[in-house]
Formats: sequence, structure tokens, C-alpha cells
Amino acid sequence: MSRAMTRFGGALLCAALTAYGLPAFAKDIVLGASVQLTGSSANTGRYYRDAYQFAIDKINEKGGVKVGDKQEKLALKLYDNQSNVNLSVRQYVQLVSQDKVDLLLGPFASNFALADSAISEKYKIPMVQGGGASDQIFSRGFKYIFGTLAPASNYFGSTVEMLTKLDPKPSKVALLYADDAFDVSVAKGTRPLLKKAGLTIAMDERYTSNASDFNSLLSQIKNANVDAVLVAGHETEILNFIRQAKSLAVAPKMYSFTVGVPSADFRKALGKDADYAFGMTAWLPSPKLKDKWFGDAAQFAKDYKAKFGYDPDYHAASGVADVEAIAEAIEAAGSTDHQKVRDAIAKLNFPSLYGTIAFGENGQIDLAQTVIQVQDEKLVPVYDANGFVEKPKYPMPAWNAR
Amino acid sequence: MDLLAQILVNGVLLGGLYAVMALGLALVWGVLNIVNLAHGAFIMLGAYLSWHLFTYLGIDPFLGLPITAIVMFGVGYGVQRGLLNLVVRAPMFNTLLITFGLEVVLTYLAQLAFSADFRTINPSYAGAHVAFGPVVIPLARLMAFGIAIVLTVGMWIFLLRTKLGRAIRATAQNLVAARLYGVEPRHLYAMTFGIGIGLAGAAGGLYGTVSQINPYIGATLTAKSFAIAIIGGLDNPLGVLVGGLVLGIIESLTVAYVGATFGDVASFGVLVLVLIVRPSGILGKTA
Amino acid sequence: MKALWLILILLALVALAALPWYGSDVVIQFGISTLLLAVLAQGWNIIGGYTGYASFGNSVFYGLGAYGVAIAMVQWNLPFGFGMAFGVVLAVVFAFLLGIPVLRLKGHYFAIATLALAQVMAAIVSNIPLAGQNIGLVLPPLNNDRLFYELSLGLLVLATLTVFWLTRSKFGFGLIAIRENEEGAAVMGVNTTLYKVLAFALSGIFTALAGGIHAYWITFLDPESAFDISLNVKMIIMAVFGGPGTVLGPVVGAFVLSAISEVLSSEVTSIAGLFFGVVVVAAVVLMPRGIADVIRRFRTSGWRYFAENIKAHRL
Repeated sequence: MSRAMTRFGGALLCAALTAYGLPAFAKDIVLGASVQLTGSSANTGRYYRDAYQFAIDKINEKGGVKVGDKQEKLALKLYDNQSNVNLSVRQYVQLVSQDKVDLLLGPFASNFALADSAISEKYKIPMVQGGGASDQIFSRGFKYIFGTLAPASNYFGSTVEMLTKLDPKPSKVALLYADDAFDVSVAKGTRPLLKKAGLTIAMDERYTSNASDFNSLLSQIKNANVDAVLVAGHETEILNFIRQAKSLAVAPKMYSFTVGVPSADFRKALGKDADYAFGMTAWLPSPKLKDKWFGDAAQFAKDYKAKFGYDPDYHAASGVADVEAIAEAIEAAGSTDHQKVRDAIAKLNFPSLYGTIAFGENGQIDLAQTVIQVQDEKLVPVYDANGFVEKPKYPMPAWNAR
Repeated sequence: MDLLAQILVNGVLLGGLYAVMALGLALVWGVLNIVNLAHGAFIMLGAYLSWHLFTYLGIDPFLGLPITAIVMFGVGYGVQRGLLNLVVRAPMFNTLLITFGLEVVLTYLAQLAFSADFRTINPSYAGAHVAFGPVVIPLARLMAFGIAIVLTVGMWIFLLRTKLGRAIRATAQNLVAARLYGVEPRHLYAMTFGIGIGLAGAAGGLYGTVSQINPYIGATLTAKSFAIAIIGGLDNPLGVLVGGLVLGIIESLTVAYVGATFGDVASFGVLVLVLIVRPSGILGKTA
Repeated sequence: MKALWLILILLALVALAALPWYGSDVVIQFGISTLLLAVLAQGWNIIGGYTGYASFGNSVFYGLGAYGVAIAMVQWNLPFGFGMAFGVVLAVVFAFLLGIPVLRLKGHYFAIATLALAQVMAAIVSNIPLAGQNIGLVLPPLNNDRLFYELSLGLLVLATLTVFWLTRSKFGFGLIAIRENEEGAAVMGVNTTLYKVLAFALSGIFTALAGGIHAYWITFLDPESAFDISLNVKMIIMAVFGGPGTVLGPVVGAFVLSAISEVLSSEVTSIAGLFFGVVVVAAVVLMPRGIADVIRRFRTSGWRYFAENIKAHRL
């Protein structure tokens, strides 16, 4: 009995010595997020998990973040909201009140960002999100939400500009949009752009999110003889749209989509049928975008693909930008105090692999969209703020003439 | 006029696809009185099976339908024999709950197994079409329509004319008498459910050729199948064809002429109306 | 014996009411969520447990209550109380207008009809500009979880007392008579249509109130989350798990299942949903009459209780 006691006492002593004897570790700075890892938006949601972790690992590799005169490491606390907005909101509350994370990263999708930012505002803790572009998120006068996705209302900006410069010039346009926050924002912003460019809106149709049957709409498009079709929707809908367009022999002179085209999965699923489709991206892996931690965007894309097995698109780059923004802000503020970091984020202006990171008054970044097109199953940038980059393949031939 | 013709044709073809989807549900419900809320999840599994056969073994989705159907039949037999048979004599409500739970489980398992990424079944003729004047008919949908007719008529003949079909109906109507005649109800129920799920699997294979598939399409498909089964009436297998056509045409017309966001209002509105006014459905016998 | 029960319940109530003062933020959050679910389960209990009409349309009342509050507060700038009242009005109108035709249906047809109604409502609301269409509405944020907690607790107490009153009133006996033998009840002079619609409306009122509180608390709603069918199934499972047709059964069921679900959601998120499905399946097979029944019969049957259940119900 006494021998056991001695052993036990010894162990206790050792433990105590170890606990007090070891050098004090600086506490990690924890960034919390609730992201769609399962559920219907998971195929894009996981880009954010990978991007956040990749950025945090890279920053830590290069020494971490300088807070005052100490170097501290970043850590990620991630929850899966199962593509359920309600759960996402509750998880953000948990991150703030139970896990006591230092700062917040955002979810994917505008409707999530819209709901979750109410939590960051309620608890006054800054959230930098790269998944929600809807103007609604930033028009409520909230001070603690920042976004690295370009405004939804301007998604078709460069595309419409390009339309006016194509030959033969399109005149009748069909505008289709899903009924969620992001796509409604896109449509609302696109209408005045089309009017200003002198294009006629021959069809303006809102459709149910997650619709799988576009035959009726496609038949109407064919009947109205439109030249250009602009679709603001989700990847799954756009996939169906293109396939059904083929099976109904509907081939307008051009069509452009807000999502899908930049994603390699999407192009692979369609194969040759993806050709001629236009899209847009605020980010391309160009070596001209220099970055403090990753070198440049092209190097980042290579390293990302090597680690995760797929090419990063603007969602991933946006996720990385969020982490970098927080890191820069902490260094600028010299602390992790919520108010100080929030003010530092608002004043940021630095170059990164995502472009220049600077937030407007309302908390949203402003980046120009580059028009891209799928040509021979490859992604080609065709038009940006400076005009044509490559020649677009226009007009689109009939399906049986490809 | 051209547009109207095209819209109507779209509706009819959609109706055919809908009919195949709802056939398995109507069979199991009408004959066994089992309301399967997991029906859509089985369609989804059938679609994935078809996709795997196409992608890894190069088997054409239409030619591979029998394989998909047979495998799903096995799955259905197992589910009924191992799980649903345990609650058959409980209040009907229990079957609703248990199949709901099953739907949740199947969706999650599918997501774990196949990831949330969407898949497409893209045989070379997937975009082909046939033109009748100004009306364009997608080939895949036309074939699905043809299969719908074959399966529905086949089911009708099976249930009303063959010995096995009559045994199934008899067992469902009178368990005791069936047992007295040496029929093993557990096996028969499992057979029937298996056929229902086999049909769901086939529907999945067809669905995959016209639309993308992901683990979450189950719930919507179940809801649609319900509407079709009830609108058409559960007493007669041909009712599913009627229900599918009615729903397909109404949806097509509504989306084109009322607004693309009103499709669901129309479908489920008609369902509610049918339930209130004539619950036995269009082809059902009024009690 | 009864006095002991009463004291225990009162003590539990006091402990619950005082929770916001000794519990952490997350526990209060969990508490609000659970209390509201318990209200939903109790509300369903009135139409499903006592009247025997398994409604899959309670999510409509929930959504109407939520939208009532949201529209009143966001579009018309009225205070929360008005919003709740508006939600209740919507629920009652719906219960009478659509309850009458739908309650004529029997068995699973009623269940399917209410399910269809939920879908229709979601589809209709996603087209109404006043309700924010499919984007939904964002409510003004109110950082006062204590208030929401006490409101939810109060609502649950009210709902449970109502169910308790049901067990002692003519109305309640009429409902039970309808559940056991509707034709017999009619022959005995019970106005079955009126009773059923009243039960439906009563069930709807509590559900709508819960929906209203939830909407204000979570500051956001859209058609998909407001008319969510799986929420309806959750409230049914909780009521059935705890014991339908009893006074405290749904409350117990809600508390137990919520606790298990929350733990899983935060620890093993990837299989939380899977667990929900498995629990549903297991509960229906092994204990279809709920925990109350398990407790009652376990003393006599022991572990054989579960096997007996299966034997009684299987083919």
C-alpha cells in the first residue's frame, strides 16, 4: 500500500514539475468557422475548409503572426453545418461563447453569410468571409462583417461590356436567375447594366433553386430567339441547363453562367459539352499576383493542387485571402482585441495572391470580374477591365455542328 | 402555337419519367399498404449504381437497366425482410416514421460513400434529339417514356393476370387466409417490396441520363412520387401513368405561362386538391 | 404520492427557470432550442397523441408563426407581441380553412395531405414579396437570450398545462373518444368535426407561438427552414419517443433526444444526422409506444419488453 502511495506521489510530483517547469507556450490564435462539409452545398464548401487550413499552415510555416513582440501561431476550429443555415448560426454562437475563438472566418454562400453575420454583429467579433457576395449582407450597416467576394450586383459587369463589343452584336438577352439571395442580387444589378448597354431584356425569369427541369425555360428561349443567355444559379442547376439545352437543340449565340465554369469538376462532368460556355472569375492563378506567404498566385495554385489533388478556383483563393486579411490585421493592430482588429481590417490595403485586399465602407471588397470561356475543354480568359485578352469563340454553333 | 406544342410535349415526356419514378411507390403502397418515405433515396441509389456501371464497366445506362433493377430488387428484399417486416402490423404511422429514418440514413451513407459532388451519366447519345416539325424531342426522354409505358403495362399484367401477382394481392388483403394456403407472407412481402425498389432503381438509372445526381435528390423525388401516385390513384397501376402525365403537363404549362417559381405550387396544390376532393385519385374507385 | 410528484415538478421548474443565471451561454442556447422543441412536441401531442390524427402539417403552423413575427417586425415595424398575435391569427385561420377539408381524411391520407400542405405553403411563401420570397427575412437582432429562454419556458408550461387540462375536460375526453373510435364517438353525440378542428387549431396556436419565438431568436428565416418537414418529423419522434397521449411524455422525449442530438452535433458532426436516422428507426422498431410505456412495462417484462414489441408488430 505504501509503495503504491509513494509511486503515486512521485508521479504527481513529476506531473507538477513538468507542468510548471516547461516553458510557457504562447496561446494559439484560434480562428473559428462553420462551413458546409456535408449536405447540398458541400462540393463547394469543402474548398473553404481546404483553403483555410492551407493558408493557416503556410503562415505558421513562415513563422506565424507577429502580435506586438511575440510570434504566435494560428489554429483553425471548424464545424460542419451540414448545409443547414440554422445549424450554422448555432455553431457560430458556440464558437464565440463556448470555444471562445479569437476571430471568425465565414461560411460559403450568401444566405449563410447573411444569417451568420448577425451573430458576429451581436457579439461584436469580426468575421471575414469569402463565400457570400450578395449586396444584402453589406447593406445593413453592420460593422463586423467583411467579405472578399466581389459584389453580386456586378458579376455580369465585364460580360455585358464584352457583349457590346462582339460581332455580330447581340440585341436580345434572356436573364434567368435562381431565387436565392446571391442570384437575386446578381439579377438586380445586371438589369440596369443591360439597359445602359442598349440590350433588350427579352426574358427575365426567376426560377426555383435546385430546379432540375429547364425544358420549359429552354423552349421559351428558343421561341423568343434570344441572342445571349445570362444565368445566375447554382452549379447543379447550370449543369442540368446545359445538358438539357443540348437535348432540346437550343443554342443561343452565347450563354454565360455565374458559377460552374471556373470549377474543374464542372467542366469534367460536362466534357465537350462545356465548350463555348462563358463564365466569370475575379481571380486567375497569374504569376503577376504576388503574395507575402505563397510567392505568387501561380505558385500557390501549383502547391494547392499538389496537396489537395484539384485545381483551386476563386472560392479557394478567396478563403486564403480571408486568413491573410486577418493575419495582416492582427499584425497591424498589434493585438487580437476584437475592436482593434476590426478597425485594422477596415483599413487594410495590401497585395496578395487574390489581388489587392482592401474593403469598402460597407465591408465588401471590390474586384473586377474577368470574363472566361471554355475553349476546347480548357479555361481561357477572354475579357477583363482592359479589354479583350484572348479572342472569344463567338457565336456558338448549333449543337450538331460542333 | 409552336411554343405551346413544345411545352405540351415537354410535359408529356416529363410525365413519362415521373410515372416510372412513382411506379414502385404506388405498387408498395397500393398493395402492401406500406408508405415508403425513403422511396426517393432508393431512386438516388439506383442512379448511382447506374453511374458506376457506366463509368467503370462501360455499360450503357439503358441496357444496364435490368442489372440496376435486379440489384436494387435484392436491396429492397433485404430491407423489407430485415427491417420493414418488423413493423408491418404496427399502426401505419410507424412505417411512415421508420421509412423517414431510413431515408436520412441512406442519404448520409450515400454521401459518405460517394461524396457530395454531383455526377452525370453521359452516354454519347445523351444530347440527341428527334425533331417533328418545330417540336424537338430529346431522345433520352423519349426512351424513358417508352420504358414507362412498358413497365406500367407490365406491372398491370403482372398484378392482375399472373399467379404471383395475384398471390401478392391476396396476401396483402388477407394474411390469415394466405397462410392457410401455405403462402409465406414474409417472403411475399419482401418480394413485392423488392420489385418496388427494383422499379425505383430503374427510375434512378433513367433519371441519371437527364439530370445530374447527388446524394440529396431523394427528398424531392419522394415528394413528387407521392403526388403522382395519389393523383393517379393507388388501385390501378395504370393510374401512375395518368398521374405522371397530369403532373408533368401541369408543371410544364405553369412554369412556361405562370412563372418558373410556381411549379411546386401547382404540383402540390393539385395534390392537396385531389386529396380533398377525390382521395382515391383519378383512376381510383370511389370507396 | 401525488404531492411528491408535484413538489418534484415544481422544483424542476424552479431549477429550469433559474438556469440563465447559473448556466453558460451555450447551455442557455441549448435550453431555448430544447424548450421550443418540447413545445412543438406538446403541440403535436394534442392533435396526434390525443386526437389520433398524425399531422405532418404542424410545420405549416410553425412557419406561419415565424412569418407572422417576421413580417410584422420587418415590413410593418410592429413590436414582437403584435407579431406573435399576427402569427397566431394566421395559424387559426389556416387551421379552420384547411383543417375542415383535410380532417375528413383518414389514417395515412391525412398525414400525406398535411405533408402536401407543408410543401404547398413553402412554395407559395417563396413567391410572396412581402415575405421576402425565397430569400427570406432578416429580423432586427436582440441580444437577450434570457428573455427568449424564459419566454420559451413559459410557453412550454402553458402548453403542458393545456394538455393536462385536456385530460380532465369534456373536450379532452371527446378527443380521446375520437382517437379510439371515431364513428362510435359521433354516434354518442360528439361533434367530431368541431372537436377535430379545435384540436388542430389549438395545436397550431402553440406551434405558431414557438415558431415566432424561434424566428426572433435566430434573427433569420426563409421558406425552407420555416416549413421544414424534418422539423415536423422531429416533433413527432419526440412526442412518440416520450409517450404520445400523455402529459409529460413529449417533454421528456424532447429533452432526452435534444440532449443526445446536441452532444453529437458538436462532437461528431459528420455522423450526427446519420445518428438521428438510426435513432428513429431503432425507436420505431423497439419502443413504438414511447419511453413512458417502456418505464411502465419494464418492471414486469424486463428486457423481453423490446422483443415483445417486435413480435407484436412484425409480419
